[in-house]
Amino acid sequence: MKLLYRGKVTKTAKYLVVAFVSAILALLIQSAFAQGEYEIAAFLAIALVSIVIVYLTDISIPFKFLLPGMLFLFAFVIGPIVYTLVMSTFQYQTGNYISKDDAISRIQLLGVEADEAGTSFDVVVGRDSAGKVAILASDILTQSYFVANKEVKRDFLSTDITLNSDGIATAAPGFTPILDSERSTLDFEVSSTRFRYSDEYFILMEGSALGVLKRQVLTYQKDKDVFVNLLDGRTFADNGKGNYADVNDPSQILQPGWRSPIWFSHYIDLFTDSEVRKPLIRVFIWTIIFASLTVLTQFSLGLLLALAMNRPIRGRRIYRSIFILPYAMPSIMSILIWGGMFDTEFGAINNLFGTDIAWFQNALFARAAVIIVNLWLGFPYFYLICSGALQAIPTELSEAAAIDGATPRQIFSKITLPLLLQIVAPLLVASFAFNFNNFNLIYLLTGGGPSSPLDGDIAGATDILISYTYKIAFGTNIQNLGLASAISVIIFIIIASISLYGVRKSKVLDTFV
Amino acid sequence: MSKWLRENLWRHLVALLVSFFALFPIYLVIISSINPTGSLQVTSFIPKAVSFINFTKLFNDPTIPYLIWMKNSLVIAGTVAVLSVVVGAASAFAFSRLRFKGKRSGIQLLLLVQMFPALLALSAVYVIMERVYTFAPAIGLGTQPGLLLVYMGGAMGVNIWLLKGFVDSIPIELDEAARVDGASAVQTYWLIFVPLATPVLAVVSLLSFIGTFNEFIMARLFLVDMNSRTVAVGLQGFIGGQYSQNWGPFAAGSIIASVPIVIIFLSLQKYIINGLTAGSVKG
Repeated sequence: MKLLYRGKVTKTAKYLVVAFVSAILALLIQSAFAQGEYEIAAFLAIALVSIVIVYLTDISIPFKFLLPGMLFLFAFVIGPIVYTLVMSTFQYQTGNYISKDDAISRIQLLGVEADEAGTSFDVVVGRDSAGKVAILASDILTQSYFVANKEVKRDFLSTDITLNSDGIATAAPGFTPILDSERSTLDFEVSSTRFRYSDEYFILMEGSALGVLKRQVLTYQKDKDVFVNLLDGRTFADNGKGNYADVNDPSQILQPGWRSPIWFSHYIDLFTDSEVRKPLIRVFIWTIIFASLTVLTQFSLGLLLALAMNRPIRGRRIYRSIFILPYAMPSIMSILIWGGMFDTEFGAINNLFGTDIAWFQNALFARAAVIIVNLWLGFPYFYLICSGALQAIPTELSEAAAIDGATPRQIFSKITLPLLLQIVAPLLVASFAFNFNNFNLIYLLTGGGPSSPLDGDIAGATDILISYTYKIAFGTNIQNLGLASAISVIIFIIIASISLYGVRKSKVLDTFV
Repeated sequence: MSKWLRENLWRHLVALLVSFFALFPIYLVIISSINPTGSLQVTSFIPKAVSFINFTKLFNDPTIPYLIWMKNSLVIAGTVAVLSVVVGAASAFAFSRLRFKGKRSGIQLLLLVQMFPALLALSAVYVIMERVYTFAPAIGLGTQPGLLLVYMGGAMGVNIWLLKGFVDSIPIELDEAARVDGASAVQTYWLIFVPLATPVLAVVSLLSFIGTFNEFIMARLFLVDMNSRTVAVGLQGFIGGQYSQNWGPFAAGSIIASVPIVIIFLSLQKYIINGLTAGSVKG
């Protein structure tokens, strides 16, 4: 009876949760669709349908367990991985950020020019007799006055209208100036309207009381997909890289561009374009050195400590707790603290050792600082690992060797170390892979610096691949998401190969059924 | 005596040197936090005066909403810790115990995914959440719920993988006995697996907590508004490379932010060290 009752309650709760989640998803789908985000809407729709099918029918019991986790994985891990792959085949950077249609309308909007004389008018904004937004413009010099909306321009004589003391028209028949309260709501419409002047010219507002005579210089020819400059006849065609470029001089491009598929150009650039390749290779080499040195120093100190503590000496417990502390601290806080300690002028390191080293301004010292801090952050990990591994090595082996007359040094190098390395090898590989992408350390300690941005070089001396990629994608000057994605894909291939090698070593794959 | 020297002296020397290295920054930040001048410069290793002015400044200065940052961090990390394990445990159970089509390739995919550093897809996540923002401003870029969703997804791979490893180690005879007694998969999950796994679920969720608390770059990209920042982003922005200014309050803030993590870590030491050998690396 009790079980039956509980069953009913859980069933009702289940329906309520499914209904609630479905309702939220449906709302999201509807608004995503309305905003033209079709890929996201499609994903959400698949999520909605699978949730309803899996939880309201008994089609598959395992999927009742799997579905939520899988949806999260697909939405925020696998989806972004696929998206990274897609982005890496696109020209996608500052200046090439919008869709092609948006870019065309932006170019049309920007492709205007003032007439040679630079004619301008004093303008009052208002509505004409039809209630449309219109301007009452006055040219004091030629004493010409007119009311214009988007389509029609009507001239007036100075006798028909009201002038103020400066000779600017303030009222005309059939024209009502807008109220101040209306001004802010109409602001966008007024500033984006092209008020008619002649067949060729129109007036654009600059500020609230000045209209400037302009004409369209760049026109889009839809059938040929080109822009033509009406003044000098130059033609701009789609250059296949997300911009309209002058057909005679490809270096002349129109802004803005759009994100355009360029297939493997980024990957080809990585290997052939020396401006991309040179800093990348430099960063790559330092990444390898950084990760190797880190693993080597952390492991060596950890092993030394483990050997020293491998015997019940006095105070071992206290030592042990002290050694673990750096590992227990949140690494972000530790890195920031170390950053202060390396400060040139007031930092504790220069103060304590009486040195005057500009740690973060000199490439070599900055690299040393990065390694020292990472040693501090990571040696406890290897201390713990090596202590465990030393316990796991049977003592019979070294005892037998000692009986055969081996010195402690020989026992260590011929027996203990090889056995230990065998145990920790996969962890060394994993640690290498982790440090290969140790973004926080580099970003928070040195910011990748020192670098010489004057040379147009965004890669600093301590930048590793991942921090360099971040700078390319989210830098202050140019944000090149396409190129950054291509580098990310390369890094992933490297990391995946390293990790798979490590996994194979650690025999995780053997447990696959 | 000489034998003791030969055998043990070097051990103590090594241990003392490394202890000095390990404790140096921690000691330094502690004496900085109680140094009334709030200066970065260390003039003496024994504090001349003790004051809590840096702490009061941290709590009362309206330009440093430290307590709000701390609350944000705890709430975000706590939510991720709980939800990602609730969701992950169910998937891990299915991967370990239930039979279904495509299980093998599912596990292989999971293995690959949990190796993937979330940072690599950063630009993609950024662009996707930027697009989400256009139609659902409440969960898009720049919002805590959006960040939470991204963290949930990011924690999923590793959590499912770790938990699957644990479920694999529970003897399958228990399930079989339950099935013979007529239990459904759902009942096996709730009545056998969850009670057995509670300590492990707690450990994995605390590890998620530490990982999320330590996450910096997504939080920085996502949370622009001063009052929505996490403590890591907040303190980093507050000190902003200018170490000589604000050092005192920063030291105080970093100590307070570290205490909960250190406590969690030390109390879980045994489990974490076991987990270490399984190949997980703490961030």
